[in-house]
Amino acid sequence: MATLRRQVAVLEHAGTRPDHARQDPVPLCPSVDQVLPAGGLARAALHEILGTTALSGAALGFCALVLARSGGTVLWIGAEPEAWPPGLVRFGLDPARLVLVRASRPADALWAMEEALRCPAVSAALLASPGIGLTAGRRLMLAAEAGGALGLLLRADSPHPGPAVALTRWRISPRPGGAPSEAHWQVELLRSRGGAGGNWPLRWNEAAGELLDEASLPARPVRRRVG
Amino acid sequence: MRRRFCRPPRLEAPSASEAPAQALPLPAGENVPARRFLAIHLPLLAIEATGPADGPVLVWRANGPRREVLAVNAAAAALGVAPRQSLADAQAIAPGVQPRPEEPDAERARLQALGLWALRFTPLVALDPPQGLLLDITGVEALFGGEAALLERVLSSLRRHGHAALGAIAGTGPLAAALAQAAPGTIAPSGQERAALAPLLLFALRIPLPVLAALRRLGLERLGDLLAQPRAPLAHRFGAELILALDRALGEATAPFPSLRPPPDFHVTREFLEPLIARGGIDAVLSRLLPLLCQQLEDTGRGLRRLVLRAHRGDGTMQEIVLGLGRSSRDAAHLAKLLERRLDTLEPRFGFERLDLLAEITEPLAALQSGMPGAATQAVEEAALAQLIDRLGQRLPVWRLAPRASHWPERQAMRVEPFAAIETPPGWAARPRPLRLLRKPEPIEVMALLPDAPPRRLRWRGHWIEVSAAEGPERFEPEWWWDRPDRPLRDYYRVECADGTRLWICRAGLADEAPRWFLHGAFA
Repeated sequence: MATLRRQVAVLEHAGTRPDHARQDPVPLCPSVDQVLPAGGLARAALHEILGTTALSGAALGFCALVLARSGGTVLWIGAEPEAWPPGLVRFGLDPARLVLVRASRPADALWAMEEALRCPAVSAALLASPGIGLTAGRRLMLAAEAGGALGLLLRADSPHPGPAVALTRWRISPRPGGAPSEAHWQVELLRSRGGAGGNWPLRWNEAAGELLDEASLPARPVRRRVG
Repeated sequence: MRRRFCRPPRLEAPSASEAPAQALPLPAGENVPARRFLAIHLPLLAIEATGPADGPVLVWRANGPRREVLAVNAAAAALGVAPRQSLADAQAIAPGVQPRPEEPDAERARLQALGLWALRFTPLVALDPPQGLLLDITGVEALFGGEAALLERVLSSLRRHGHAALGAIAGTGPLAAALAQAAPGTIAPSGQERAALAPLLLFALRIPLPVLAALRRLGLERLGDLLAQPRAPLAHRFGAELILALDRALGEATAPFPSLRPPPDFHVTREFLEPLIARGGIDAVLSRLLPLLCQQLEDTGRGLRRLVLRAHRGDGTMQEIVLGLGRSSRDAAHLAKLLERRLDTLEPRFGFERLDLLAEITEPLAALQSGMPGAATQAVEEAALAQLIDRLGQRLPVWRLAPRASHWPERQAMRVEPFAAIETPPGWAARPRPLRLLRKPEPIEVMALLPDAPPRRLRWRGHWIEVSAAEGPERFEPEWWWDRPDRPLRDYYRVECADGTRLWICRAGLADEAPRWFLHGAFA
């Protein structure tokens, strides 16, 4: 079945996808990777991230992790890109690799994202936007396929997220229970083209630089109360 | 004891009487290149700046309580009106004359526009206010068929644009300007400045009025009389400025030449018989000019950092597009892409008669060696990224965040331009920090058990949020070497809300002096 899927994928993109130097997917964590058809977040594709809270800190953390693991220069495009390097370095994103672009108009933001995805020197690009249309999404998908960059669309969660052009759709919500400075997420894979969904409680282990699946770990001590 | 000075022998410049009068390209080894200047004098600029004039027109200026005629056109002069009359006299002499007040701003703008227009003859043009232009034509006269032909061409094109223009050519700027005013049409050969200057009246050299009057009282009428005087007493009596003015005119001191635009390193030009109106035509011309320019750059192994497109319109005005590049390039396709968006700002209206493409700033750019996998791929990627940033930067603000050695949150990362090199100081951001810092901290309300205890509930955007855990406080003292002295210190808490949201909140001020609370960031 897997080989058949791969063959279909090759047929779907016949002629459009050039040979990229970096074809390996971006790994997340073993238990998540085995569900994803590519064995990780596929490059040369678009991925949609839904953030649940008002400041969507957890979703930003997830994005920062993916950007950091993409390995090269990354672009952060948004109406007000409030990325802060002192926090980003905790996910391995070096400030020297980060370029920020402010695009207050949606049309500009989409154009910048498309240009970024088409550039062979960009390994990943993040677009924080309230939502994009089907046509614009398709354009971005084609741009990512042409350029080989990994595209992330960060938007706020809504009850009706609408049709998706992206390869995957994730919902990242913070999970109570850890220390306030530790990242604990509930990661839901809502949609994955050619793969199954999933739901994992994940924790970012900064010292080891890896994402841990809490479900497969022994239970942690109960959280502390404020004194 | 008397000191004895040893004076070095004075080197005589080769006198021009021996050199051929037509200074063609100088033989190698000549250490002083003979510069040539073309000066344009626009006697009626004051009138021309106030608008078109078909009848008799005069321009007046308020000189204290007196209204004085400043300039008259030919039709008005024929009626007997002359400059320096009072306006009332002039109107009595010729009631039909149209009086216009002076417009110094318009005059200055017109002179500036003409200066930009004159860039078609030479890349070095300086304004010589109030009514003059100075062109450094060293070496360009050959393109126009000699100096006389160039002068004729400049003056006739100015006349076509409706300007009364006089001109002269000489080896120094001040001399050319003086000749243009006092003896228009003169072409003074280099090296014979003294002979050219001698017959001119004193005022030709723009000597300050009191000095001029004093010189007149001594019976000196012409500059030749002045040159015959011994220098030292002249300098003693009238100041060094007079001597400097003379020296500059004679070429013994260098006169400043405030060029309107820096001379480009490379440029290509196309003139059109039919003015270019449509965007398609402009695109077509640029698609031919750009490769030419890039070829010049490639032949010399350079890449450009600043590209200038000058579009000269038929009415004597010029429009300019300046493109700055983050990394030197000579890739015609890339430059065309950058220019494409900016071309919308051009207003051809009656059409462009000439397009110039100039490489103003260039730097060495090595060609890529193909066939060396590692280094070449990296270089190609760097170039691709630079081009991307150039393209984005033409339309949107693009920046990087550079770490700084500061603990104050707003200063820990600083915006730098996207091509800056970024280094992270050791030990920077060692403590847990949020990955999103709000540009404007949002005020919140906080409930705590004790005034200086961590918060238990906080009210943000109108909702009360339960705090389930808190870490802190972490105290931030203001950096007195940067901050204003009354900036309060801040105590930061990392709090986890009931739904798991992790926030960075701070108390500005000490707990016992009515502190204010802010939400400043979000953790992952």
